[in-house]
Amino acid sequence: MAMKLILSDRPFHIPIKNVDSIKFIDLSSLEIANCVGCFGCWTKTPGKCVIRDDAVKIYPDIAKSDTLLYISRLKYGGYDTVMKTMLERAIPVQQAFLRILNGEIHHVQREVVPKKATIIAYGAMDREERDVFEHLVERNAYNMNFESYQVIFSEESQLEETVKNEVKKWEKS
Amino acid sequence: MGKIIILNGSPRAPKSNSRRYAEIFVQHCSCENEYFNILKTNHHELCSRLSGFTDLLFVFPLYADGIPVTLLNFLKTLEQNPPRNKPVVSILINCGFLEYRQNDTAVKMIELFCKQNGYRLGSVLKIGSGESILDTPFRLLAVRQIKKLSASITKAKYRVLQTTMPLTPNMFVKASTSYWINYGKKNGITKEQMESMEIES
Ligand SMILES: Cc1cc2nc3c(=O)[nH]c(=O)nc-3n(C[C@H](O)[C@H](O)[C@H](O)COP(=O)(O)O)c2cc1C
Repeated sequence: MAMKLILSDRPFHIPIKNVDSIKFIDLSSLEIANCVGCFGCWTKTPGKCVIRDDAVKIYPDIAKSDTLLYISRLKYGGYDTVMKTMLERAIPVQQAFLRILNGEIHHVQREVVPKKATIIAYGAMDREERDVFEHLVERNAYNMNFESYQVIFSEESQLEETVKNEVKKWEKS
Repeated sequence: MGKIIILNGSPRAPKSNSRRYAEIFVQHCSCENEYFNILKTNHHELCSRLSGFTDLLFVFPLYADGIPVTLLNFLKTLEQNPPRNKPVVSILINCGFLEYRQNDTAVKMIELFCKQNGYRLGSVLKIGSGESILDTPFRLLAVRQIKKLSASITKAKYRVLQTTMPLTPNMFVKASTSYWINYGKKNGITKEQMESMEIES
């Protein structure tokens, strides 16, 4: 069965009812080094990153899930370090080879389930930063196999509430 | 006359395409310049050097549609340790895909950094097909734009430039397929192995 995955850049206490199908991962508690751009995951050990830290447990989960929730602080209109580090380490889910999608070049995906993605972003400074982030997620959608997505901007003080509300929707569905 | 500091924000800086682009820039740059790789350990040293330069050129790749973590982390340190005199910030970005426009969001991120921190944005050069263009006859196109970038910064007549291989998407897919097959071959890996659908198993 396809999985529902929550990747967060900070810990939360969210009561999750369907623990069998919903997995919560707090990236900030894990050991994840940054991608060094060696392309080993495409040309040496296809589908596997050569850096054997906690990231290698996460990208298979990203690939398997059909419903995703990413929770990240924003910085300069993009994901802040914790989430961005993980997203860069997730390229083993793609092949080196390219295809045309939406009239543009993108990678061929390995066994990656198409996704409904929700991104909760907090810490935006202004409208312009939110706009840049929306552009980013629109671009991500092509490279990360999002079949649909929604971006929710949250005040940091409201974050836990916002997350709980989204997870509740999953529990109903 | 200005003075340019070139900072390479690729996580594989010493062996990066960004480094090769920076070298071409230096070859065609008529004003004084210095080049550094951004390392995890030299953020503070680089921040303290910036005051002596009129211009800062970030050279980096597109990573997951944005700026690489290596550069992001440096910008965060720079935000905390601003130089007394802020240089004008220019960008030389390259991406693997054919379309140089795929770099636009990352350029906007640097623009936002500049706005939030009181730097002027200078010139921008966006390179598509950046993983391979330098090893093809289209290298000339990249060199031509890098020359223009260098002239624009030197004269403080800042502008936005771009280039890529003049191929259709279909031709680019074919060319890149041979490129990656050869890449794998050097590691003793076949096309079929590279096409594995399996992830971590
Ligand atoms: C983790 C990672 C993510 C990447 N993401 C993108 C991308 O989103 N779009 C793109 O066109 N190229 C992408 N690339 C390709 C690089 O931008 C390209 O290989 C570039 O030439 C690398 O430059 P460098 O050698 O200076 O680091 C990515 C490469 C890596 C390793």
